Amino acid sequence: MNIITNNELKSTIASTALYNVIDPEIGLNVVDLGLIYQLDFKENEKAVYCKMTLTTQFCPMGASIKEGVENVLQDTFKEDAIQVELTFDPAWNMDMISEEGRHFLGR
Amino acid sequence: MSNFGTISFKNTDYRIVLPFYVYAAISFLVVTVLMFFSIDAFKGHYFHPHILSITHLMALGWGTMIILGASHQLVPVLIEAPLFSKKLAAISFILAAVGIPMLVYGFYLFQLIWPAEYGACLIVLAVLAFLINIGSSISKSKNENIHALFVFSATGWLFLTVSSGLLFLHNLTNPFLPSDSLRYLPLHAHAGIIGWFLLLVIGVGSRLIPLFLISKYHNTRLLWWIYGLINSALIIFVVLFLYDADKPWFLLPILLISVAVLSFAHFCYQSYAQRIRKQVDNPMRLSLLSVGLLVLPMIFLIVIVIFLIIGASKMNSLVLSYGFLVFFGWITAIILAMTFKTLPFIVWNKAYHKLAGLYKTPNPKDLFDSAVFRWMVISYLCGFVLFVIGVLTSKGWILQSGALLLLATAVFYNWNVFKIVMHKPRLV
Repeated sequence: MNIITNNELKSTIASTALYNVIDPEIGLNVVDLGLIYQLDFKENEKAVYCKMTLTTQFCPMGASIKEGVENVLQDTFKEDAIQVELTFDPAWNMDMISEEGRHFLGR
Repeated sequence: MSNFGTISFKNTDYRIVLPFYVYAAISFLVVTVLMFFSIDAFKGHYFHPHILSITHLMALGWGTMIILGASHQLVPVLIEAPLFSKKLAAISFILAAVGIPMLVYGFYLFQLIWPAEYGACLIVLAVLAFLINIGSSISKSKNENIHALFVFSATGWLFLTVSSGLLFLHNLTNPFLPSDSLRYLPLHAHAGIIGWFLLLVIGVGSRLIPLFLISKYHNTRLLWWIYGLINSALIIFVVLFLYDADKPWFLLPILLISVAVLSFAHFCYQSYAQRIRKQVDNPMRLSLLSVGLLVLPMIFLIVIVIFLIIGASKMNSLVLSYGFLVFFGWITAIILAMTFKTLPFIVWNKAYHKLAGLYKTPNPKDLFDSAVFRWMVISYLCGFVLFVIGVLTSKGWILQSGALLLLATAVFYNWNVFKIVMHKPRLV
């Protein structure tokens, strides 16, 4: 699934960092799992805005995954304010898993 | 991808959930110790103080306590809304934690008023607190779903089970019902086994099994059928029982339950067949095996009813085996498995959520010893088979060997549960 962004270069940097955030149950990173919907970079406000989802609402690992995304973005964009929002519209489904993710899960 | 709706969420506090798991683990250990020292009771009638004591500790201390604990964590996942009240969760734990040993100790010594009846009262109040909590959580949820209905109906049947249990217990010492309490035992037992355990396991399992397998399979229509079949079977059973119907009629509810169980097995198989995640871990394998183990008590139940129809006597060993297959078969198998699909994640969340993404942390499955888990499964399966053979043949040494292996199972299980609960954060 493609991530919506207003800055392709920064989005690639952020996505690369977000490969380190793993869903502990599935063992797959949040990017290949398709949990990241949007990454926007507000240059004037020096802020990074991330809109993401979870595989299921009230996912027991949800707090850790969201915190992992915040931690990684803050570590990557040290000077910027990080805002991570959860959404369930649209709800996550298995078609959002990337080809690499499917390959990983199908091993 | 427009029209995003943002949302915040809050999981159930681990401090609410963990005491239930620890209590259940200790109960399982105590049960297996009691079994090991009560082998002779398994050669006689099932209405024996030690059998009553073991059955109630299995059903309440082990099965119900862990399900109550897990439900406080999983119901928000099922209904996609937060738990209504932490206080009610704590109240239900305290009342059950005090009431269960009182009831079990009372049965063991056959002191039925004090402490057994007082313990039963506390258990009824604990279940009432849980029922209110779950009902209120579901009523606040915006999403209606079949899984929540399973859980709520199961809790309703649990309330009927413990309330009727209290009445039958009171009837033992102060008779006020038309018949003696032993006659009502099948009502009490099946409201619990089918209404509580089976409905709940299917309701939660039908959500979690596809989730853990990352399966595309969904079949809400089939789940509605299963829900209807089980509840209809229970209501028909109660009516047949209260109107003292002829024995062949009792095959009807068993038939309905059998169709429901086979339908659930089909649901699990389809989830497995249509999974994206190819590797299936050991706890998931044991969970799927537990679904297969559901068939065994169904076969025994059909045999018992056929024996009743033809007027066979001396069915004690069959009835005892049936009870054993229920509590030590599929219920124990699914708990042994699902503990290690839920508890490590709860503790991992507590220990590592602040470090997520920044450092390499252990995986949740690294929080318990997988070798000990394997030994637990081996000793469980061997002990389970040996004990059933022991009950059917009334051979003391087979019963003793089976009980010893089940005791080993409980030791391995407790080892891993306490290893998880006492885990201290570390980086790898």
